[in-house]
Amino acid sequence: MELIASQMTGFAYSLAQLIIDPITYLYLLPAVALGIIFGALPGLTATLAVTILTGFFGNKFPLEYSLIALIGAYVGAIYGGSYPSILVNIPGTAASAATAMDGYPLTKQGRGGEALGLTTTASFIGTLIGTFCLLVGVGLLLMISQSIASPEKALLALFGILVSGTLMSQDLVIKGWIAGLLGLGMAMVGLDPLLSEPRYTFGWAYLLSGFQVVPVLMGAFAIPQIISGLLEGTLISKVREIGRIIPNWRTIGQRMPTIARSGALGVGIGALPGVGEDVAGWVSYGIGKNLSKEKEKFGKGAIDGLLSSETANNAAIGGALIPLLVLGIPGSPPAAALLGALMINNVIPGPNIDPNLILHIVSILVMASATMFLMGLFTARAFIHVLKIPQSIFLPVVLALTTIGSFSVGGGINDLFLMVVVGIVSFALIEMKYPIAPLVIGVILGGLFDESFRRTLLISDGDLSGFFTRPAAAILLACNVLLILSQLPMVRQLFRRKIPVMAPGTGE
Amino acid sequence: MKKFTALAVAAALSMVGASAAQAQEYPFRDITNAVVWGAGGGTDTINRMVMAEMEKFLPVGISVINQTGGVAGSNGMIYVLNQPDDGYTLAGISESNVTAAVQGGWDKRMNVWFPFIVGGSPLMISVPAGSQYNSLEELVAAAKAAPETIPAAASGSGSIHHLNLLALENGTDAKFRFVPYQGSAPAMEAAVNGEVQLVIGSLAEQFPLIDGGKLKPLAMLSGQEASIGGKTIPDALSEFPSLKQYLPLSQSIGFAVANSASDDVKNVLSEAFTQAMASDTVSKWANDNHYVISGQMGDAASQTFAKLESVFAWTLWDLGAATVDPETLGIPKP
Repeated sequence: MELIASQMTGFAYSLAQLIIDPITYLYLLPAVALGIIFGALPGLTATLAVTILTGFFGNKFPLEYSLIALIGAYVGAIYGGSYPSILVNIPGTAASAATAMDGYPLTKQGRGGEALGLTTTASFIGTLIGTFCLLVGVGLLLMISQSIASPEKALLALFGILVSGTLMSQDLVIKGWIAGLLGLGMAMVGLDPLLSEPRYTFGWAYLLSGFQVVPVLMGAFAIPQIISGLLEGTLISKVREIGRIIPNWRTIGQRMPTIARSGALGVGIGALPGVGEDVAGWVSYGIGKNLSKEKEKFGKGAIDGLLSSETANNAAIGGALIPLLVLGIPGSPPAAALLGALMINNVIPGPNIDPNLILHIVSILVMASATMFLMGLFTARAFIHVLKIPQSIFLPVVLALTTIGSFSVGGGINDLFLMVVVGIVSFALIEMKYPIAPLVIGVILGGLFDESFRRTLLISDGDLSGFFTRPAAAILLACNVLLILSQLPMVRQLFRRKIPVMAPGTGE
Repeated sequence: MKKFTALAVAAALSMVGASAAQAQEYPFRDITNAVVWGAGGGTDTINRMVMAEMEKFLPVGISVINQTGGVAGSNGMIYVLNQPDDGYTLAGISESNVTAAVQGGWDKRMNVWFPFIVGGSPLMISVPAGSQYNSLEELVAAAKAAPETIPAAASGSGSIHHLNLLALENGTDAKFRFVPYQGSAPAMEAAVNGEVQLVIGSLAEQFPLIDGGKLKPLAMLSGQEASIGGKTIPDALSEFPSLKQYLPLSQSIGFAVANSASDDVKNVLSEAFTQAMASDTVSKWANDNHYVISGQMGDAASQTFAKLESVFAWTLWDLGAATVDPETLGIPKP
């Protein structure tokens, strides 16, 4: 309780500082608007929005301000994805794919505006739930982080790669793991973290510093999006009449149980390493359907379905930031981009992270969600016009932004070569239905795994017992083993009847 | 036609103006200082602080940018050397740059620079707060009794912290088990959570943890005592006089101009640097942040860097962590 009280006072102070600083709004308003636009345009994702801004702000702007823009865009984009989902049945981002299930039927009934109002409110409440959990969760995690030493870090990193591979796969789980392993392999390139020996550099000096985060992010997240967007060239036809947007507050009040449950679910899923908003949206939708008394309405315009996915995907933002700030392990793909932004500004997330920075981030989240809420309720009609922009116009703009961003971080022209190669390989992988997020998570966590695994062995003189004699390590090891076992066909057969399968992309 | 004449005259005038400006004394336009390490780090902070102070003694402004990447800051150093050596581009550097050549980042030696050393934070050795060791003597005795079993943390292989650990081993005949970390922050974190039993770092880095009672300081490796909160931290070099042949090996953070720059440029910068270093702002900053001011420049600073270069290069080569033989670069053995 004391922890909550002290966190709250610090947070109130930090929020007040942010509110009275006029420069805040200079970064916040355009960022949230940009986020909503990115979210609303099919083919542009939240990850892409945060990635591009990471490259744009680089280390040339003060971190306190660039974080406002990054987090503002993150919140805006996760929310903005609901517009095309609801209005034209094309999910703006994977995170709001489940939103289309019930959102579009509502639009067909002429209740599109009502649906938008509800998702706006749900997204707002979801973000606030996530923010509160972030505030408390970070405090709790910081208290136990003293017992997180090298063996635990190694196992956590491995768990992150595995769980992201498991949950992000569209068809075969093994594909997610393969993508994760590819990322792990990429993380091995460069000067090794312990002995500074060059590995897999083939005499190319640029590779000595390994695969840099920003070009990998740009290559893996942006390039394939642009290529496939240009190939498909989705054109959005007319948007239907939508009606009143301001929601009926009584409806919201009645649905509070759904909202609270979805928020909690979203936070939990967001906090899992490397698993973010898209999975949160689907799982919450699935659970909402299972628990609902009116199952038959789902898919035909159920308010509960709409709220389930939209609350959860926004709540996942706060959840995703918990492991990011305390352990340096991103909880979602956009959080991976945020980690890149922190790293190029020499902020190393971990137990010794500046507590004020955490409070600052929490305050930004609150401000961003409030901005998103107001923009959503009062300017939604303006954002809807964005849906009419053809991809052949905005994708080249995005490509230019991506290139500038990747170049400006400072690695020179080689960063661009790396970005293009990673991009083409990623596109090929995505075409073969390999999820790309585990690859990026692998690159980011692979270094941590390599370093902490070998350091554990260095300290114990090659003795593996460190991984199961320490209580925290033993628990994490068990999690890793169970996760792998749960995906083996034999074990699955055994439990088939007991565990409902809910992978993204399989929901109806 | 009239317009053309006017244009031509204007162009001619501006050219005269430009050449007149070129004849003017250095500096007549703003100077850029490219720090080769990231924003927010020690080298960056010090450069921004000192440049702001030097501006007061120069007729022009100095803007600080960051050119990071490459090997041991080679990107930024190459960038600065590729600019004209007219004194308008400086490089913000530190002792960690001296390994760029042996690690294959570039093929130059540090003698391409005319350096200015602001200073560094004195290095020290600390143990976890609950450690059984209360003095460096006890720790060394324990390490001698069981060689290579006591895990010792320091940032990266071949870093200034690692070299201090090696010097400590050579000077006391004790052997520790070196455990490298990516930077001082995780190294100290490991000492706090008990993963390692000692950590070498700078006073500036360790002060908050010592002050917060999470680390127990054992000795200074800088050749001078220090005091934190009224408690004196003894000097390792007077406890173990044999250390004096290896230590002190200190941080040297500052900036540099190309050595091929004219004497005019060097003199103007030297003057502004001397005045800045004598200012209250710099001494107050150093005091608040636990740094020790050096103020070396030119030949003296070059010698400091040459010594660091030789010690670092050969240590890395002996450890097998260098890719280029220091012999081929003409770096003398220490």
